[in-house]
Amino acid sequence: MGGGGLTTYVARRVLIALGLVYIVTTIVFLVLHVIPGDPAMLLLSGGGVDPSAEAVAELRRKLGLDQPIFTQYIDYLAGLLQGDLGNSFQDDHPVAAEIAKRLPRTIELILAAALLSVLTGLPLGTLAALRQGGITDRSLSLVAGLMLSVPVFVTGTLLVLVFAQKLQWVPAGGFVEWSRDPVRHLIHLLMPAVTIAMGLSAVIFRMMRTTVLETLQQEWVRTARAKGLSGRSVLLRHVVRNALGPVLTVLGLHMGTLLGGTVLVEYVFNWPGLSGFLVVAVETRDYPEVQGIVLVISFLFILLNLLVDLLYSVLDPRIRLE
Amino acid sequence: MSDKPKTFYDDLSRRHMLGGMAALGGAVLVGPGLIGRAQAKTPGTLVFGLSSYPPGIKPWENKGTASSTVKLQLFRGLLGYGPDGGLQPELAESWEIPDAQTYIIKLRDNAYFHNGDPVTAEDVKVSLEAIAAEDSTAHLRSRFGVVESIEIVDPKTVRINLKEPQVTFIYLLASVHSHIVSAKELAKDPDNFVGAGPYRMVEVERGTRIEMEAFDKYYKAGLPRTKNLRFDAYKDENLRVAALEAGDVDVIEYVPWQSMDSIGANSKLNLDVVDGPFMYLLFNTEAGPFTDPRLRQAVAYAVQRQDVIAAAFFGRGNLLGAMPIPKGSEYHEPSFEGHWKRDLDKAKALLAEAGFPDGFQATLLSTAQYGMHKDTAEVVQQNLADVGIQVKLNLPDWATRVSLGNRGQYDFAVMGSAGDFNDPDALTNFLDGTRGNSYVRSLGFADDEINGLLAEGRQELDPAKRKAIYDKVHARALELAPIVPINWRAQGYATQAYVSGFKNMPGFLTFYSGYTIENTAIE
Repeated sequence: MGGGGLTTYVARRVLIALGLVYIVTTIVFLVLHVIPGDPAMLLLSGGGVDPSAEAVAELRRKLGLDQPIFTQYIDYLAGLLQGDLGNSFQDDHPVAAEIAKRLPRTIELILAAALLSVLTGLPLGTLAALRQGGITDRSLSLVAGLMLSVPVFVTGTLLVLVFAQKLQWVPAGGFVEWSRDPVRHLIHLLMPAVTIAMGLSAVIFRMMRTTVLETLQQEWVRTARAKGLSGRSVLLRHVVRNALGPVLTVLGLHMGTLLGGTVLVEYVFNWPGLSGFLVVAVETRDYPEVQGIVLVISFLFILLNLLVDLLYSVLDPRIRLE
Repeated sequence: MSDKPKTFYDDLSRRHMLGGMAALGGAVLVGPGLIGRAQAKTPGTLVFGLSSYPPGIKPWENKGTASSTVKLQLFRGLLGYGPDGGLQPELAESWEIPDAQTYIIKLRDNAYFHNGDPVTAEDVKVSLEAIAAEDSTAHLRSRFGVVESIEIVDPKTVRINLKEPQVTFIYLLASVHSHIVSAKELAKDPDNFVGAGPYRMVEVERGTRIEMEAFDKYYKAGLPRTKNLRFDAYKDENLRVAALEAGDVDVIEYVPWQSMDSIGANSKLNLDVVDGPFMYLLFNTEAGPFTDPRLRQAVAYAVQRQDVIAAAFFGRGNLLGAMPIPKGSEYHEPSFEGHWKRDLDKAKALLAEAGFPDGFQATLLSTAQYGMHKDTAEVVQQNLADVGIQVKLNLPDWATRVSLGNRGQYDFAVMGSAGDFNDPDALTNFLDGTRGNSYVRSLGFADDEINGLLAEGRQELDPAKRKAIYDKVHARALELAPIVPINWRAQGYATQAYVSGFKNMPGFLTFYSGYTIENTAIE
């Protein structure tokens, strides 16, 4: 397949992706407006009190909620086309600016977790495959199984209990900007990243173990050894590289899921990223914020899947031919 | 990976690999320990752990407890409350009420806004008029409708004329939702609210943190006691407690009930709990079974209040078997106390009298979003089964719960709330259905006698006569059961032991405890 083929392939995938983003946007808009819950009422009834009815009506007018839903939809789309995600119902803060500030924090968290997972999952997975059936393999697999089955809010809460409350080594949660204090920034990053990494490294470990095992049984491995390549170079240049493809796909897919799936971790550790922010936005029925966040997350998710597909085809040229 | 592998299967030394892993893990775990207690308390800064990041801090909107606490540092009103819950002057130096229709307020000479301008009668007039304005979204907008006119007598004196006598108007002036802001700044930008509170804003990290520093021209000598103030938002209650125990914060609000025992037992921490808001059941009195007051009474006698306190509040709280007028209030009437307590025979007799000897079916609205609301609903469901009332629970998220409540889509509902102030007039919110449909009161309940008495109480200056009026309201309410109270809810703050001066204010004022931050010192 030539370069033009690849371009067409990419272009088609991008178009489909954009269509998907549009559909997601519309569905979210409709669902938000259909489910019960009046943002103006919620905003003015803090702590379960009874606001003035006139004040609620006035706030509805100010937020544009008194307009017919179709008008609100058209206004929203028109704003989107100009790159305007609207302003928060809560305090009129621009949604795009808030997302621009929070998205990098979520991505940082995911990348830190992915790094930890790769650093642990890849070598340990390889090791387990090499020692298949041995005590190392069995104990590592057992630990991985455990880490996979414990939900993040349990791991997270346990980490907080042990390292923040009992040992007081790290703060219980929260966030300090890198620009303010890089060391404290990393300290705050540590526990949430480890929490996510636990599950993710187990996934990578298992994937790596399986694929390395499969690869080791290939005849060309024996051939490579037979033609005199060192064990190390067979392992690193052939076995591991061949095993990386599926592992990378799994990692990519998981990272996409994590974009929206760090909700619990961000919540447990008070990490001010994008997904924890979404929870508050939904609770307060802050339509512009929910719509903006979902739009960005779905866009990134679709983009990430696309990138994984493309990267995969680079790692394994046979994919491109299919 | 190991450095010098020699053979294919054996070249990867397990020892090397595990060693590397251990080193990595060790660095991860021990690193912060070596750095030291990264989060040790910040000298000169009081760190307050909020239960949520305030969804707005406009001076006149009610956006919840966290918002009110933050607002109280930036803004002040004419009056306020002392730590014991008594009214105290803030921007006002003194006030005079020649008759219940006229309020004359004399302002302090030494009160300044954060822009350096003195607080004047003009600022008071502009602020209070904005609350009742056409485009206002203020919490007290309707209540301020009682104001006829605000006159500037001199630069430091205002005279507020009401359309009708109202003794409770003074509480509106002391509300955390009627702060005074600079008229000059408001004229420049209608969204620029400059107040005269003890702290001024330094930096906001939206969703996370609000930083303030002491305002050097604050009108109370020597206050605030701590130079810097930081609010950190901890939405998750367990993390909020963990942050306190880890020493990340000095004070937390909304101590979860399940943590009260352990915090109380911890010598490094102080727990301060009061009976604050109350939990109750409200009814659809327009349609369905509860149009009949006898069935509401039956529910009042069937509920086992101790069970609710035990299950939903971990044993924290007090029984409430009458209308919510707290014990410390001069309007509390001991003979009403515990009027409703579990009596299955009475409940069954009332059911039979109303024509439902075998009970009936009803939908109970509550929310799964807050454990206390859900648990209360579940206990009520079990209790009512004992008299044959089959309860179906509807537990949507809070936003939906509020909407369904406002629309009256329920037979009965669980609610927790507090009055706007510690005066029996606060009952109006829960007993007077002519104020419009609301998720905090029973749909369609309106009784001319109760409403007449409440109106009378608002106009009566003499405390003894007022007491007699509210006793009548109370007796009538116990007869009609417009709401069925269950319990006072324990509301807690917790601080580090080295924190002094912070106080959980009594009764409904617990949510105003932010007033005492100015008295709070660390060490």
